[in-house]
Order: sequence, then structure tokens, then C-alpha cells
Amino acid sequence: MRPEDTGREAVSKLHAEAANLTAARTGDFMRLLQSAGYSFPASPTREPTVCTTAGHAQVQEAHGTTVIAVKYKNGVLNVGDRRATAATAIMYDRAEKVLPLDDHTLIAIAGSYARAMEVVRYLRHSFKYYARTQLQEMSLDGKVNELARAISANLTSALQGIGAFLPILSAWDKEANEGRIFFYDAMGARFESAEFAAAGSGAERIRGAFDYIVRTKKPFTSMSLEEALAECLILLDIAADLDAATGGYTKIPPVARAVTANGILDIDEPKLREVVRALVAAPALKAGED
Amino acid sequence: MLYTPYDWNETIRHRNEYVEMQLRQGSPVAGCSYDGGVLLLTVRGSQRKIFEVYDRLMFSALGKQSDVESVRIAAIDVAHQEGYLRSPDDVTIHRIVGFAVSPFIKRAFNETFGTPLVIRAIFAEVGAVPEKDSFFTIGYDGEFASYKHRAAVAGTSRAEQFMLDQLEKLAKGLPSLDEAVKAALWAWATGRYVSTLHDEEEPNPSTDKLRQVLSDELKSGSVEAAVLERDTKRETRFRILPESELSPILAEFL
Repeated sequence: MRPEDTGREAVSKLHAEAANLTAARTGDFMRLLQSAGYSFPASPTREPTVCTTAGHAQVQEAHGTTVIAVKYKNGVLNVGDRRATAATAIMYDRAEKVLPLDDHTLIAIAGSYARAMEVVRYLRHSFKYYARTQLQEMSLDGKVNELARAISANLTSALQGIGAFLPILSAWDKEANEGRIFFYDAMGARFESAEFAAAGSGAERIRGAFDYIVRTKKPFTSMSLEEALAECLILLDIAADLDAATGGYTKIPPVARAVTANGILDIDEPKLREVVRALVAAPALKAGED
Repeated sequence: MLYTPYDWNETIRHRNEYVEMQLRQGSPVAGCSYDGGVLLLTVRGSQRKIFEVYDRLMFSALGKQSDVESVRIAAIDVAHQEGYLRSPDDVTIHRIVGFAVSPFIKRAFNETFGTPLVIRAIFAEVGAVPEKDSFFTIGYDGEFASYKHRAAVAGTSRAEQFMLDQLEKLAKGLPSLDEAVKAALWAWATGRYVSTLHDEEEPNPSTDKLRQVLSDELKSGSVEAAVLERDTKRETRFRILPESELSPILAEFL
């Protein structure tokens, strides 16, 4: 090794150590990963190595499809179908697209399943790393921004045609004592929704239906968990009817979780099946069978 | 300067003395399994002493605060890197202590021109079943030891032995949380009492003596206890026991 290389190595080691110290001082998990020599997200930095024929990438990645978040009386309910598709193939029919990030935050994911799961793992560690090093929980605003950062870090990859995903973040705001819903664009811009949000290929198909429910029945915010759950399941079933990539609710129940003042509430399969049975038995749906 | 084996021995001896003298005054930490998880307990002044390291891992130590802090951060850094890049299941107590924390402390101790870390630390890991619970203690020279259901760190190794005996006696089998907290507090008092004795004095940790130690110490300090819960619906297993939960258990000591 030439002397200047040794010098360079020493300098880069110093830089790494400084970055590591900063990571711990500020509780910044992304910096910690960088100081250890890992990039986040693990994205192609140069030209994609994927072969393309006639504009179609030969790598088919699994995609998640329709997820819904609504504010109900006691918090925010998230419901997601379970289908993951790659082009016209159904890759998996038990995908979990609604996941807890911590005791007061839920993420619902649509788009590239691989990248979204990587981001979920990243965020879980990022929030915990901050809390454990700084001895205080990351603020809600900090968490919302951390997700924006992860999305914008993914932009290069998304522009190359792989790894694009769009999440919905639902949280219980302990300061304001209310549930909150945030959604994003591909650049990482964050928006806050007053009452409901949906993401994924089926979301656009059912967008107007949310308004219809609010105007003709009642606002989601005044619904009980059971009422809101029934509405969300119907919405999801409509999305499944109109979007081939979205799974329905009869074969395998969707995933449903709520975030409340008391933490995350998992709505289990038996309960979901019960609600689905009641919906299927409802007169409006039965009438169609006659 | 010539460096003879004699100098080397002397240097190590001086370093040992320097560290051990400072550790004597430290507040011990007692740890044990209970039916719902693992517990660490100590008495502290104004600063927190028990910390969450990772999902199933917590840590406490006596020593210099800045040294405790750097070991804490080193453990947290490695645990999170490993948990993210591999899996949370791969973050285990023996990997973190044996491959990350021990070499870190050992390096500082071996650098004869720097100051060694003044620390004795205890790590606790909650298992999926009680048989998998695990404790590690680690000293200022990087040497570590593992324990199954009960462990302790104190200013002297004799104090630690007395604490272990006390825990053995009071936290037999798998106690309830109440019983574990009480046992750990008795063990803490024992450790405190024994570490303040001169080496030639024979310890006699009678109940009266220990009550005296506790009533003296709790005038200025307060009990800090934290658990890692085995079965919880929450995302975080780590929980510092709040005042409201501790005071009924500790009523008999105050």
C-alpha cells in the first residue's frame, strides 16, 4: 500500500468515527448505517443492471394494492387487502400491508412490496434507535418527516422503474390527543388528511365512495370501530371488483389494525370473518342473488 | 523509555487499583427472572441508571457516567445495525456482550496511555420462555460472565457474591414481580453494605443492618426498577416501573 493510501484510509476512518459519534448524539439511524458503510435504501446508484426489452423490465417485483385509513371515534382504523401481484400473476395472497411501527404509529403500504418492507424495517429501527439513544420518544412530526426522507431517498430507484411505493402513516397524536393520517407523493411531500386516505392501484377507483359515505351516512369520525370496519370492508370489496390487483374479503380476510390512545389494536381473523359474514348476509347484497 | 515486564505488571496493577477504588462507591445493580420476564433494580441519585438496549435486551452499570454512556451507545449501535441488516432475532445477549461490548472495553483497558473505562455492567435478556432468560456481567477489563436467572454487579466481587447468595435465597424458582422486586432490593442493600466494608472486615448482613442501610440510602436516592416483559401486546417490552407500581411493594422498607 502506498503511503498516501494509508493517509487516506486514516482520514476516512476518522470521518467514519465522527459520523458514528454524530449518529449516536442525534439518534440518527440513517447516519449510523452510512457510517457502517451501508446505504439506505439499498438502491442501484448507476444505470440499472436490469435488462429491458421493449421498455418492459424483466424483473417483475411484487406489488401491494389497496390500503385504506379512516379516522373513527377512538382513533384511526387501517384496512388492507392481502394480495401481492407481479404483472398479472398473484404472487401471494397473505401479504401484510398494515404494520405497526411502534405503539402509536401504523403504516399502510402500497406499491413495491420489497422496498416498502425495507422501509418498514428501517423506520422501526430508526424510531427505536432515536428513543433508546436520546431517552425520549421521537416527536410525531419527526416520525412523519423520517418517512418522507425514506421516500425521497428512494426516488432514483423509483424513476428507474422499480421500487416505487406510497405509504399512509396513521398515528395517535399524544399531544393533541387525537388520531392523525398522513399520505405522501413520490418525492416525499407529506400531506395530512382530515378524515380518510387510500393508496394503491385500487384506491383511485373508490376515491369518490368515501365522500358518498360521509355525505349520505355520517362522518367516519362519529362511527364506532364496528361501523367503520364494515364501511372499509365494503370499500375494499368494491376496489377488488374494479381492480384486478386487489384481493377481496371473502376468501382470506383483509388485515385490519387501529391505532388508539391505548396503543395498537389488532383486529383478529374471527372478528373480521364475523363482520364479513354480516355484510354478505345483508339484504342489499342478498337481493342481487335472487 | 525502556519498558520491562516489571513496568508492564506495575501498569496493570495501577490501572486495576485506580478503577476498583472508584467502583467501590458505585450503586450495585441486582437482576433476576420473574414469572413475567426479567428485572433489573438499583438505587439511583438524580440520573437514570437502567436503559433499554434492544427489543429483548436491557443494561445497567455502575461506574463513571461518561463511561457508562459510551458503553451504552456502543451496545445500542451494534444491536440496531445488526437487527436491521440481519434480523432482530440475531441480536442476542452473548453476541452483543461478547463481540461488541467486551472488545470495546478491553481495548480501552489495554491502551496503557489512555484511561481505562470505569465500569461494571450488567446486561439482561428476556427469553421466549423463562429457561431462555439470560444475564451477563462485564468488568472494566472486558472480562464477562453469564448467568441464568440471577445476577448482580457491585463495587467489589465479594459484594457481588453476597448479592447472588441473597438472590438465590429470596428469588428462588420463578418469583412474582412483587417478590422479585423485594428480593432485588434486599440484594441491593446487601451489595451496598458489603462493598463499603474494608477487605479485612467480615460481613454480617443481618436484616437490621440491611434495613439501616436502606433507610439511610433512600433518604437521598430512589429505587429504580425496569423490566423486559415476556408476553406483551405492546411493541416495546421494556418498561420502567412507575412510582405508583413501586411504592406499594416497597412500603415495608420505608
